[in-house]
Amino acid sequence: MTSPIVVLVEDDSALRTLTARALQENGYLVRPCSSAPEMWRALEAGPADLLLLDIMLPGTSGIDLCRALRRESDVPIIFISAKGSEMDRVVGLELGADDYLAKPFGTRELIARVRAVLRRGGVENRQTERRQGIAEFDGWMLNLPRRELTSPSGAVVDLTGAEFDLLSSLIDHPQRVIARERLIELSRARLGDSSDRSVDVLVSRVRRKLSSAGKEAPIITVRGVGYMLNAEVARR
Amino acid sequence: MFGRLLGILLLTLAVEFAASTILYELSSRALIRDDEAHRLAEHLVIARKLISEQPWPERPAMAERLTTNRYDIHWTGSADANDPAPGPERSPVRDKVIKWEPGLANSDLHVRLMPVGRRAQLFGALRLPDRTWMRFRASAPAYEEEESGLHRILLALLPATILLVLSALLFRHTLRPMGMLARAADRIGRSSGLTLPEAGPREVRRLIRAFNAMQARIHQLITDRTQALAAVGHDLRTPLARMQLRTDSIEDPALRRAFGTDVAEMEAMVGSLLAYLGGEDDPERPVRTDVAVMAETIVNDAVDRGGGATYLGGDHLEAEVRPIGLKRAIGNLVENALHYGHRARVSVAADAGTLVIRVDDDGPGISEDRLEEALRPFSRLDPARRRNTRGLGLGLAIVVRAAEAEGGVLHLANRPEGGLRAELRLPLR
Repeated sequence: MTSPIVVLVEDDSALRTLTARALQENGYLVRPCSSAPEMWRALEAGPADLLLLDIMLPGTSGIDLCRALRRESDVPIIFISAKGSEMDRVVGLELGADDYLAKPFGTRELIARVRAVLRRGGVENRQTERRQGIAEFDGWMLNLPRRELTSPSGAVVDLTGAEFDLLSSLIDHPQRVIARERLIELSRARLGDSSDRSVDVLVSRVRRKLSSAGKEAPIITVRGVGYMLNAEVARR
Repeated sequence: MFGRLLGILLLTLAVEFAASTILYELSSRALIRDDEAHRLAEHLVIARKLISEQPWPERPAMAERLTTNRYDIHWTGSADANDPAPGPERSPVRDKVIKWEPGLANSDLHVRLMPVGRRAQLFGALRLPDRTWMRFRASAPAYEEEESGLHRILLALLPATILLVLSALLFRHTLRPMGMLARAADRIGRSSGLTLPEAGPREVRRLIRAFNAMQARIHQLITDRTQALAAVGHDLRTPLARMQLRTDSIEDPALRRAFGTDVAEMEAMVGSLLAYLGGEDDPERPVRTDVAVMAETIVNDAVDRGGGATYLGGDHLEAEVRPIGLKRAIGNLVENALHYGHRARVSVAADAGTLVIRVDDDGPGISEDRLEEALRPFSRLDPARRRNTRGLGLGLAIVVRAAEAEGGVLHLANRPEGGLRAELRLPLR
C-alpha cells in the first residue's frame, strides 16, 4: 500500500515544517503549502488523500476557502484553527470539513485525527458514508454535519465525540447488530476519547441520554454479539 | 433647559397674576354689588328730599319714619364743615350711588364700610340742600360675612395649589431626559450600551449628545483592547503549537512531560482569557438544551479523566440557555470543585421557575469575608493556594459572566457540613 498523500496548508513556516515532519515520521507523504494559491497548485499537481488546512491564512477567509474546496473536490479536509471555539468548529464541519484540530496540538492528536479521517474516507464507502443531512429515528434527530442530537421535544442533547461516533455507527446500520469489536475500534479511532473505557459504558451513557419519560432508548443489547438500533431511520 | 425653566416661571407668574386679579374682582364685586348700591341710592334720594321738605322740628320724626330694617336714617341738625361720619373720601359704593343718582353728586356724600360685630355695615352722611347733615347706616348684605375666614383662605390657596401641581408636572417633563441619562450611565460597562434619543431642552440634548459620544468612545476603547488581547491570545496558539510539536521529539521522558505540562498550562491560560473576554463565541444565542444531560456529560468527562465527580440530578431537564457558555461555566465549577474540594457532586433541578445547577465539594470552603472576592476576575484567594493554582484566576469570573448572560446569578456558600456549594440560579425558560 502506498503512503497516503497529505496536502498541508499552514502560513507559519516553523509550524509547517514541524507538522510536516511529524506526518512524515508517521509514514505520510506531505506536500507543504504556505498560501491558498499554493494549495490550489498542490491539489492540481496530483491526487491527494487528505487536506490539512489552517483556516486563519492571511488574506483569505478559511471559511470561503473551505466552501470553494468543497465545490471543487471531495478530498477529506481537517481544518486547523487557533480559535478553538465551538462555533468555529460547527461552522467548519457544516461547510464540509471532516474534522477539526485546535491549536495547539501534539503529534499524537494530529496523527490520530489524520488516521481516523483517512479510515473513514478510505475503508468505508465515501459516497454513502459522507456525513451529511439529518437522520431521524423514534422522534430523535441527529444532525450529522453539526454532530448534534435533538430530542423529540426539540432540545439539543449534548453528545461527546465518542458518543456521536457510536450513535452514528448504529444509525448507519439500523436494525442490524453491530459487533462490539467494531464499535471499540470506532471509538478508539478518536484520540480525544482514547482512554480505555469499555464500549459498554459508552452505550449505557448514550442509552441514558436517549431515554425519555418512561420510554426506553431504542438500543438493544444482543448478548455475546453486540448492539442494535431498534428503530426506523429516515434520512433527509 | 434655561428657556424652558424660564417659561415655566413666566407661566406660573401669569397664572398667579390672573388668579389674583379675578379674586380681587370677585371680592370687590361682592362687597358693593350694583343692585345694593342702587337701592341705597334711591333710598338716600327719597330720604333727602322728604327730610328737606319738612320744617326743622318735624325732621327727626321724618327721619324716624324713613328708617327701615336695612336703612337707619338720622338728621343731625348741624351744618358743620366736619364730616360726621369720617372715612375714605371716594369709596366704590359712593361712586356707584352717584352714578345711579347724579343728583347726589353735590351733596358731599361720604360712604364707608365698617365691621359691626361680625357683620359689615355701611356708614355714611350727606348734606341736605340747606347744608345740614343727614347720616345713614345700611346693613351690608349677608355674603359679606361669607367672604371672610376659611372661605377666603381656601380661595387664596386654590391658585397656589394649581400652580404647584402644574409646575411639578412641567418640571418632571423637562427633567425626564436626565433620568434616562442617569439610567444609561448606570448601565455603562455592564451590558452593551444604548444610544439615547436626543430629546428634551437644548442643554439636555447637548448633554445626551456628549454622553452618547462618550459611550461610543468607551465602547470603542474596550472593543479595541478586547480585540487586541484576543488577537494576542489567538496568535500565541501558533508558537504554542510549535512548542507542543517540538516537545514531542524530546528524548528525556521526564523533560518531555514537564514541557508538555507547561504548554498545557499556557494553553489553559490563553483559553480562559479568551473565554473571559468573550472573543470566541460572542454573542451566543439561546437554544433549547437538555441541561441535565449537559451536566451529566461534564461529570462523565471528569470521571474519564480520573476525577471524583458524581451526578445526582434527574436524567432530563430542558431549558433555553446559551449552551457553549453554560457548559463552560458548569465545567469551570466542576473543575474548581475537583481541584480545591477533591470531589464534585453536581445536580440540576427546576425550582419554581428557576433552573438551579449546584456543584458541591468537600474542600475547606472559602472564608465568608472573601466569598465576594472569589468572584472577581484575576483574583486568587490566598498565597497558599497560589502555589497550586493554575490559570489566571478567571474561572469563576467566567461563570459569573455566563450567569449574567442568562439573566441569573452565581451564588457561593460554605455548606454547614463542610465544603463549598456553588449554585447557578438561572431563569427557567
